[in-house]
Amino acid sequence: MGMRDGATGTMEPSVDITELYAAHRLSLVRLAILLVDDLASAEDVVQDAFAALARRPDAVKDPSKTLAYLRVSVVNTARSALRRRRTARAYAPPHDLSPPTPEDSAVLAEEHRDVLVAVKRLAPRQREVLVLRYWSNLSESEIAETLGISPGTVKSTASRALVALEKTMQHPMEETR
Amino acid sequence: MSTTPDTQPDIEQRLRAALSARAEMVQPEDLSHHAMAVPLRRRWTTPLVVLASAACVLLVLVLTFQLTDARPRTDDVAPRPDTPQVELPADVGRDWKADDLSTPAKLDLDGDGVKEKVAFLGEPSKEFDGRIRLQTTLSSTQEEAYGIAQLSTTIGTNALEPIDADSDGDQELVLYYDDPDAVGGGGYPLVFDLRDGLLVQAVAEDPDLLVRGQVPVPGSATEFYDLVRIHDYWIEDASLFSSRSVNAYAAGNMTLMRPETVVLDTWEWILDEDGILRATDAGCMRVGLESVTPCSGNVDDEVPYVSPIAERTIGVGESADFSTIYRFSARIEAFADPSVVVEGEDGRTVQYGLEVADPRVSTVQPTGVFSDGASLLVTSASDPSYVKVLVQDGDELRALEAVGEVPFENEGEVRTWLTQNGALVTVVSDGDDVWQAWQWVMVSRTEMAALPSGTVCFDDVGDPSTAATC
Repeated sequence: MGMRDGATGTMEPSVDITELYAAHRLSLVRLAILLVDDLASAEDVVQDAFAALARRPDAVKDPSKTLAYLRVSVVNTARSALRRRRTARAYAPPHDLSPPTPEDSAVLAEEHRDVLVAVKRLAPRQREVLVLRYWSNLSESEIAETLGISPGTVKSTASRALVALEKTMQHPMEETR
Repeated sequence: MSTTPDTQPDIEQRLRAALSARAEMVQPEDLSHHAMAVPLRRRWTTPLVVLASAACVLLVLVLTFQLTDARPRTDDVAPRPDTPQVELPADVGRDWKADDLSTPAKLDLDGDGVKEKVAFLGEPSKEFDGRIRLQTTLSSTQEEAYGIAQLSTTIGTNALEPIDADSDGDQELVLYYDDPDAVGGGGYPLVFDLRDGLLVQAVAEDPDLLVRGQVPVPGSATEFYDLVRIHDYWIEDASLFSSRSVNAYAAGNMTLMRPETVVLDTWEWILDEDGILRATDAGCMRVGLESVTPCSGNVDDEVPYVSPIAERTIGVGESADFSTIYRFSARIEAFADPSVVVEGEDGRTVQYGLEVADPRVSTVQPTGVFSDGASLLVTSASDPSYVKVLVQDGDELRALEAVGEVPFENEGEVRTWLTQNGALVTVVSDGDDVWQAWQWVMVSRTEMAALPSGTVCFDDVGDPSTAATC
C-alpha cells in the first residue's frame, strides 16, 4: 500500500526523535509497565515505538501530535506483546498474579497490590481503557482516538472494567475471565 | 465515566493511586542505557541544514548592514496565530490551453442569477501535472475573473456540483484532487469562492477531515497491515459534507477488513468571511452497502463477517468440484498414506500427501486466502486441532505457513473455521466472552497472515451463527 513505503532512508525526520526519546521515554515506559507488567518488556515496547517512529518519521506531520502518536504505538505494541505471550506455547503461568519482582512487592503497599493484581486479570482492552483514563488522565475522546474505538465504547468498557475490577478484588480467587 | 456512584468513586481512587504507585516505581536510574533506537544525525549536522544555516547567517549580516533601524518590532518576530489563511491566485497562464477532455463548469459565481462559464486552462508539462488556470467572465460586470488550482493532472478537468457553503446566494466552484496512489481511491475537494473579483481557493480549517480514502491511524502499522479510518466527502443540497469512520479497520494486501455497515461521524463545511472552510458537526450516520441512515442511538458497527460456516467436507474416497473462479476437482485417495489430488480444468494434476488420520477437505474453497488457482482447507475428523491451507503453486500444492500475530489453530481460546463465502476466520478469546475476529490472507508465496476484522461476542462460540455485537 502506498502508505507503507520504505523509502525513508534519506529522509530527514520531521520531529527530533533524540529529543523526544530523552523527554518522554520514562513516562512511556511507565505507561507500558502498567500494560505489560515487567520492566524489561515495557522498555522493549517503548524501544519498538521509537524505532517505528524513526523508520517512519514522516508519519507525524504535526510535531504537537508526536506524543499522542507514540502513546498509540506503545498501547498497540503492548497489546501485541501480551497476545504473543498468551498464545506462545512456552508461556505457562496464566495465573501468575504476583507483582513482577520481590523488590516491587516490598515497596508496593498491600492495598495497591490487590488493585494491580485485579487489573492484571482484566481483558486487555478493559485494562488499556482504565490505564489511559486513570493514569494517563486522558479524556474519553482521547482514549477513543488512542485505541481506535468510539467514545461510546470507551465509556461502556470503562464501566464494565470497574465492575469487574471491584468484583475481582472482593473475590480474588474466582476466575473472572 | 462512573455508573455506580455509591462504590465506584472509591474504586476509582484506589485504582488511580495503585497505578500511580506502580508507575512511580520506575525511576530514571532503573532504565537500561539504551542508545536511541536508530542512530540519528542531529538536524543541525546534516549538509543541507548546515548550508541553509550558513545562508541564514549571511542573510542576517547583510540585513544588519542594510537596515539602519535594525531592531525588529515585536509583532514582526512573534509567531503568527496558527490559523489557515487564503492565498490570492497569481495571474499566470493566460496562454495555457484547455484540454480536450476538460468540461467547462457552469455556475452562478456572482449571484446575479446568470451562470458563468469557467474554462480550465492546463499548464503545459511533460507529465501533465502542471497547474490549472480557472478563467471566466462575470455576467454582472463583464470583468474577467481567474483562479489557480493544483490538481493531480491537467487532463480532463471537471467540476463537481457547485455549492453555496457561505449561504450568500452565489455559488462556489468545487474541483477535486484525486490521489493516483491511494488504494481504493483517495483525494480531497478544492472550493473556489469569488472574492474581490478573483477565484480564491478556500482553506479547510482541519484538512485531515476533508479527504476521501483510507487514512492510517498513527502508530498502528504492523508488518502485514495498517489500521485505517474510512474517510469520504460528498455534496448534497448545495452543501459540502465529509465523514470519517468512528472505528478503524485493518488494511493490507489490497484488502480492507470492514464490516458491511459502519458508523461514521459527519461534518458540514461552512465557508466563513475569511475564506476558511470550517467543519460543523452533522451527526452520526450508519452507512451500509446500499443504505445511509442516522445512527438513532445505534452507534455500533455491524458484526464482522464470521458465519455461516462451510460445514460440508469430503473424506477418503470422495471428491468435490470447485467452480468459484478457477475450476478444479479434488479427491482424497488412500493407497498407503492419504493424499489429496487436484485436477484442474486446464488438465494439470497435482497431489499432496496428508500426514493425518481421517483427513477432510472442505467443499468450499478458501478464496479469501487464495483464488488464483486451487486452494483447499484440510482438517481431520479425528484431530479437531489439525487445520491446513493448501494452495496451488504451478505444478505443486503447498501448505501455507501461518505468520503474524495470531496462531493458526482450532483449539481452546483460538477457534478457526471457513465461512460459506470462502473467508478463513480465526477468533481469539480476549476474555469476558469477547473474541477478536481475524481473517486470513496470503502475504507471500509461502505464507499467510491474519488481519483483524473486529470484535464479536458469541452466545456459543461453537456455533458462530450466534455472533453478536458485544
